[in-house]
Amino acid sequence: MSDRLLTASAALAEALIEEMTRDERIFILGEDLTAHAGIFGQFKGIPEKFPGRILDTPISETCIAGCGVGAALTGMRPIVDFHFSDFVTCGMDELCNQAAKIRYMFGGQVKLPLVVWCPDGAGLRAAAQHSQSLEAWFVHTPGLKVVVPSEAADVKGLMKASIRDDNPVMFFQHKRLFRREGPVPEDPDFVIPLGKAAVKREGRDVSLFTYGSGYFLCQEAAAELAREGIEAEIVDLRTLKPLDFETVAASLRKTYRAVIVHEACLTGGFGAELAARIQAELFDFLDAPVLRVAAKDVPIPFSPPLEDFVLPRAADVVAAARSVCNR
Amino acid sequence: MAIEIAVPKLGLTMEEAVLVAWKAAPGARVRKDDIVLVLETDKVTFEMPSPGEGLLHPLVPPGSRIAVGQVVGYLAADAAELARLAAEHPAAAAAAEPTAAGRPAAAAEAPPAAPGPAPGRVKASPAARAIARAHGIELAGVAGSGPGGRIVRADVLAALERPRPAPAAPFAAASPLTVLEDIPITGVRRAIFRNMQASLATQAQITLHTEASAEALLRLRRRRKEAGAPVSYNAVFVQAIARALRRHPRINASVEGDRIRVWREIHVGVAMDFGGGLFVPKVRHAEAKTLTEIEDELRRLAEAGRAGRLTLDEMSLGTFTLTNLGAWGVDRFTPIVNPPESAILGVGRIEEKAVAAGGEVRVEPRVALSLTFDHRIIDGAAGAAFLQTVSRFVEEPALML
Repeated sequence: MSDRLLTASAALAEALIEEMTRDERIFILGEDLTAHAGIFGQFKGIPEKFPGRILDTPISETCIAGCGVGAALTGMRPIVDFHFSDFVTCGMDELCNQAAKIRYMFGGQVKLPLVVWCPDGAGLRAAAQHSQSLEAWFVHTPGLKVVVPSEAADVKGLMKASIRDDNPVMFFQHKRLFRREGPVPEDPDFVIPLGKAAVKREGRDVSLFTYGSGYFLCQEAAAELAREGIEAEIVDLRTLKPLDFETVAASLRKTYRAVIVHEACLTGGFGAELAARIQAELFDFLDAPVLRVAAKDVPIPFSPPLEDFVLPRAADVVAAARSVCNR
Repeated sequence: MAIEIAVPKLGLTMEEAVLVAWKAAPGARVRKDDIVLVLETDKVTFEMPSPGEGLLHPLVPPGSRIAVGQVVGYLAADAAELARLAAEHPAAAAAAEPTAAGRPAAAAEAPPAAPGPAPGRVKASPAARAIARAHGIELAGVAGSGPGGRIVRADVLAALERPRPAPAAPFAAASPLTVLEDIPITGVRRAIFRNMQASLATQAQITLHTEASAEALLRLRRRRKEAGAPVSYNAVFVQAIARALRRHPRINASVEGDRIRVWREIHVGVAMDFGGGLFVPKVRHAEAKTLTEIEDELRRLAEAGRAGRLTLDEMSLGTFTLTNLGAWGVDRFTPIVNPPESAILGVGRIEEKAVAAGGEVRVEPRVALSLTFDHRIIDGAAGAAFLQTVSRFVEEPALML
């Protein structure tokens, strides 16, 4: 079956429609869903197609997350929409103390098939409280899976895998990438398993490990680097937990140099975790220090020039790659 | 009573080490278990704790090669004893300057091993260290091109390729002979040096010679060329070896301790020389590869070799070696086994010869095949049978199918 160009939004809607058609236990819960098909129009077609299975809630993330946990415990397969990923703070107890731990604390007697859909990321001039990338918080919480797709096809394939998973999955989708088009397979059985990274560009000189919006920075950087004779390999991690370290290792064994790229701020970010594992497990394959490219450690500014200044750019990736390649 | 500082044995096979640096200045007080010096063997870097407390009197300069058990310095109980030690055991001129304190000391008496030897901690990337360790290269002799002079992987690969300027030969002054070129035994040469010596020192090697008709071989090459899919002689030999090893699995073996290990995998190494020394990259699982696959692999390895990009992975873990000197016009020779392998096939040139058969003399291209093997574990008849199989496969490649 062929691929069509779809926006990331449309890819998400297609995944949801296919899965909701397949399994009637799946439903969506969140704010402003039916009137606008989600604030980004990401659920287009779903309110009409599945009346009663996409529900509006009061403005209370605590309530939304709590409902999701309860519904999942009692046999449903809910998807909760957090509106902006920044609002997870209001649902932290439900997500981190309940959802993440229940299956463990009850000795596996219950499952918790919950997808927490979190539109995240900066670049929309939405200021500090609506622009964060918070995936590292959840990577740090045992019991949760963490997915951060980049391209439209990844959104679709990973969303389907997340829905089918019997564990709570934090699904971070970048707001600025909703309208970005990409080829998406038509096959309704197209599912990208959680925990599988993808080598999206092969190269011999440096490995760029990235996910989410960072992938597009790396793409741009790799093109620039190629003009300078540096062939970068891009590994889109796609799932941060479980992490596909085998693919990371295979790439590093080839290039001996690593740059980690993410939009989340530097300190305590996922790059720190990955760099730590690389040095511990692949020490003899390092020809240069592992470098990280990330946002600066400040709240995302409202001022457009300042926001642009704080966020990582392709030029930063190029500079880091040059540095590890000793150029 | 002065305390001796002697080099400890850090591993079962360790015989010598390089004293990379002293961590305290001459005369300085060192407490028990303080790090007093740094050793580097071909396997590890070791920071040696002081065996006791006292004033340091080093005997050998950083950069010295020292034997296990050798006394390299003393710890004096007090200044008087230090003075006495200094008189009794004069330190080498520059056994001085702890390198932690800043600029590395120039080891004046130590042979200048290479451009810019930096006694003390050598800055090198982990990957560079891993490769150097595997090839027995002294990192102190490699110039670093990375940030702040750090030795990176490319530097070690380059060092493996080229001979480096030599230390002044110790006997040069006394010898009536004049040194034209002085080549340090390091890097690739050192690896070859050790391996070849280990080969003859540990194995009981015997060589059997035979000669095969090369008619079919030439025909095969011609036809493949006409078909636009040329193959090298070596590709055919690798295939013949691999298929023959499958019939004679016990040739594909190594000695480990008091066991003979017969290997399931057949990884045939092919000796290649790119001008910087001998390399033996392996064709992995050669028994499962088609002739075309073997040819492609050999081409890839040769290209990688010429570009200096052969990886350690590509050169380790062989189970048999092919060496072909036919291109140099050699008739036949007695190759030396590449340990821990137990056999090697040497191939000579293809030459037309008069062959008497069935009462007639006719001219036929012939090629000499020489099998050297470890007679400790492979009996003469077994070796001969293997060689015969190889020879038949060369004479009639179709038999390999």
